[in-house]
Amino acid sequence: MKSEAIVVNTTQIEARSVGKKYGKFHALRDISLEIAEGEFLSLLGPSGSGKTTFLTLLGGYEDTTSGHLFLEGQDMTGWTANQRGFGMVFQGYALFPHLTVAENIAFPLKVQKRSKAQIAERVAQMVEMVGLAGHENKKPKALSGGQQQRVALARALAYEPKVLLLDEPFSALDKNLRGQMQEELRRLHRELGTTFVFVTHDQEEALALSSRIAIFNHGELQQVGTPDEVYERPANRFTAEFLGDINILTLDGPAGIAGTPIQLPGNASGLGHLAVRPEHMRLAAEGDANQLPVRLRDKVYLGSKSRLLLETRGGEELMLYLDNGAGLVAPQTGAEIRVAWDVQDSFAV
Amino acid sequence: MRAYLFLICPVLLFLGGSYLLPFLGIMQLSFTDPEPGLGQYSHVLTDPLTLSVIWRTLRICVIVTAVSVAAAYVITLLWVRGRPLVRSLTELCIMIPFWISVLSRAFGWMSMLSNRGLLNSWLKDLGLIETSLQMTRNEFAVIIGMSHYLIPFAVFPLATAMRNVDERVLTAADGMGASRLRIFWQVFLPMTASGVIGATLLVFVFSVGFFVTPALLGGGQSVLIAELIYLWIFQIPQWGMAAAMSVILMLAVGGILVLLMRRYGEMAK
Amino acid sequence: MTRLHPGRIATLLTALVALFLLMPLIAVVPVSFTSRRYLSLPDGKYSLRHYQALWEDPEWLGSFLTSLQVGAIASLLAVALAAAFCIGIWMLRPRFSGLMTGFVLLPMVAPPVVSSLTLYFFLKKLTEWNSLIAYDSLGGVILAHMVMIVPYAVVVVMVSLSQLDRRMDLAAQSMGASVPTRVFGVILPNIRFGLLGAFFLCFLLSWDEIGVTLFVTSVETITLPRRMWMGLRDNVDPSIAALSVLLILVVTVLVVLRAAILMRREKQAR
Ligand SMILES: Nc1ncnc2c1ncn2[C@@H]1O[C@H](COP(=O)(O)OP(=O)(O)OP(=O)(O)O)[C@@H](O)[C@H]1O
Ligand SMILES: [Mg+2]
Repeated sequence: MKSEAIVVNTTQIEARSVGKKYGKFHALRDISLEIAEGEFLSLLGPSGSGKTTFLTLLGGYEDTTSGHLFLEGQDMTGWTANQRGFGMVFQGYALFPHLTVAENIAFPLKVQKRSKAQIAERVAQMVEMVGLAGHENKKPKALSGGQQQRVALARALAYEPKVLLLDEPFSALDKNLRGQMQEELRRLHRELGTTFVFVTHDQEEALALSSRIAIFNHGELQQVGTPDEVYERPANRFTAEFLGDINILTLDGPAGIAGTPIQLPGNASGLGHLAVRPEHMRLAAEGDANQLPVRLRDKVYLGSKSRLLLETRGGEELMLYLDNGAGLVAPQTGAEIRVAWDVQDSFAV
Repeated sequence: MRAYLFLICPVLLFLGGSYLLPFLGIMQLSFTDPEPGLGQYSHVLTDPLTLSVIWRTLRICVIVTAVSVAAAYVITLLWVRGRPLVRSLTELCIMIPFWISVLSRAFGWMSMLSNRGLLNSWLKDLGLIETSLQMTRNEFAVIIGMSHYLIPFAVFPLATAMRNVDERVLTAADGMGASRLRIFWQVFLPMTASGVIGATLLVFVFSVGFFVTPALLGGGQSVLIAELIYLWIFQIPQWGMAAAMSVILMLAVGGILVLLMRRYGEMAK
Repeated sequence: MTRLHPGRIATLLTALVALFLLMPLIAVVPVSFTSRRYLSLPDGKYSLRHYQALWEDPEWLGSFLTSLQVGAIASLLAVALAAAFCIGIWMLRPRFSGLMTGFVLLPMVAPPVVSSLTLYFFLKKLTEWNSLIAYDSLGGVILAHMVMIVPYAVVVVMVSLSQLDRRMDLAAQSMGASVPTRVFGVILPNIRFGLLGAFFLCFLLSWDEIGVTLFVTSVETITLPRRMWMGLRDNVDPSIAALSVLLILVVTVLVVLRAAILMRREKQAR
């Protein structure tokens, strides 16, 4: 398993059966999760699934209603945000509009009563690190969205918090800037070794940046694992469908789909559906073990590849990608064809 | 918790000590001065003189409220919906009187309406009258002065209601061929009814406890509740009566305010 | 989209209402130039004696200074109290904050005459204990005015706080800022215009305050409105006309200026 690399690291934060209720509403239920020192953990899930809530519980901005939180083995459940001393980058940045860039970054240092010289040095260093040299004396209003984002990052990192919490920091940026900022965040994480807990809506962002991903739905933790684990080995149907595209086929009888016998993966007992990612499906060739007859409903040309929309005899929809460079001729719409996949690429849900 | 003490408590202590506590003292007086019991209340509510003051206050306040809200409706209509230049002009006509001291305004009406005032001199110049008309020191002057004071206050809730009217509804009605009069009576007025109700209650509440303008323009000839309370303290000291009347006034106004808040609470939903 | 504008009838009625609103302001102008000692129109003889009286009479000047002092001190204290209260509510969101706010707004909604009686009663009682904050003293008037203007300050400060981003305060908190740092370093600098606005409103209200002042002063501490009242009550003193003309002039200039500035800004925005 790839996650072994992380297990080596020491656990820094642990949530044990943490829950949060607003009135009668369970915003979070029974969350147990370990966060290793220096890791980059993403919290991913649909809107309202409790990501922000979990982050605010970690940071100490709200009190848990059940369960415990530990920091390096110590129970920190009742600690204030102040005592925990985690950095936080808020959605919308929350910069101080009345202070300049340099003053914003200096704020936490002043709070810590560092000497003037130390503050000046550290601010210069942070400004350099996030690439804002020359903008020190501007007010936040005079900065672009991406620059404001950098100030927020620099400010949160200036006083070297043990843990940095980030709530959808890039959601207000356009796609190009987003990619650029993601690169920067990766670099910062590598250089600093600070633990990052990162909330995002964007699964590609989560897959690209994180050492591990925690998937939330309806206030419950669905799965935690490395990006390839959660993508390739989803623990349940929600995770499978939430991340990327997937083909879900109903299993009928002991080992077949719409009357066609197929090989089942090891975990199939008791589960009624088989899941295969589109990229693992192909047009069947002679000798393929798992072959399923389908009808081609539609095909969409996408440049380097084409997307084929298929229908099984049972009426279920499938999708696969055909590489346009491979010299394969796509069949005509309406044609009866066969698709195949390797059994180790499929999993039951 | 220390922050709580230092931030929130000072003003609570300040008002608790210098407003709530003395008001409780007033309440106590109303039940004890000059003699314990409900005597003061029963006197206030049965004494013919006092009752006549209460009736006059109600009558004048109803008239003033009606006049103010109607006038405010008209001027707000142009302030909110007029052409830009008209809007600016009406805004000045509303804002300048609003910010001018109530005393200057009352004095202005005295200069206008008094026996040697502007209006009488105009009427004489025009040959319409021989001797001066008595237009101050009576209810007429009080109503004029109070309405003048209260119109701007009625304007603000009305303006809010009118700004909330969806332009498209009016355009739609216009497109269906409805006449302007019909659009006003059957579409615009009902849609601003909440503002009218709010303005009415607000102006009424303000007018009931009003002191300065009636005292100056009424000239002691048409005493209202507030002036009666003043007299009960500074002219013919009757603390218990003044206190009882204040408590009644407070309850009445409180009742109207609750009504107002319900109204706006419902609208918020 | 064509906008439906009010028609001729509405315009005519509005003109009448506008005339009604402006009439008393215009009526004081000729009166202020009368050469007589009582309220009258200047029979062809115009005189500036009443303006001169304002200037030369030490009583008017004294009242002017009293009003200035009362207004400045009461507004400063009221805004400080209100700001502390609003910031406390905003930061801590305590239970019963609605109730507490309602209580603080009470003097604004209660009938003025009831507030006047209450404050008169209170200051009379205080007079038995001290002479600094007492009936008919400067301290007493300041206290009474503070009670009446604190609610307005609270409303203005609340509005400007409601436009503040709460996450900014959370961010400060996350960086370990103490309550004083959050208040003085983050919140106050960001509501400074609200505070300034609250101060101006409070000053204006105190400057004009007459209802309560009538009850809590007599012969020692006479604010400008109080002196005007005295001049209006007994036999009407045309100096008040002169003073009113000056006040009306100041207000008109300020309101017109404000309107002009707003219009220019609107034009620039387009
Ligand atoms: N202060 C609150 N009071 C009541 N309910 C709340 C409160 N804060 C959050 N909730 C509820 O808790 C649930 C989880 O909210 P949360 O903000 O954690 O979602 P999220 O995963 O961050 O969503 P998004 O991606 O939209 O930001 C939501 O249903 C929300 O309505
Ligand atoms: Mg969120």
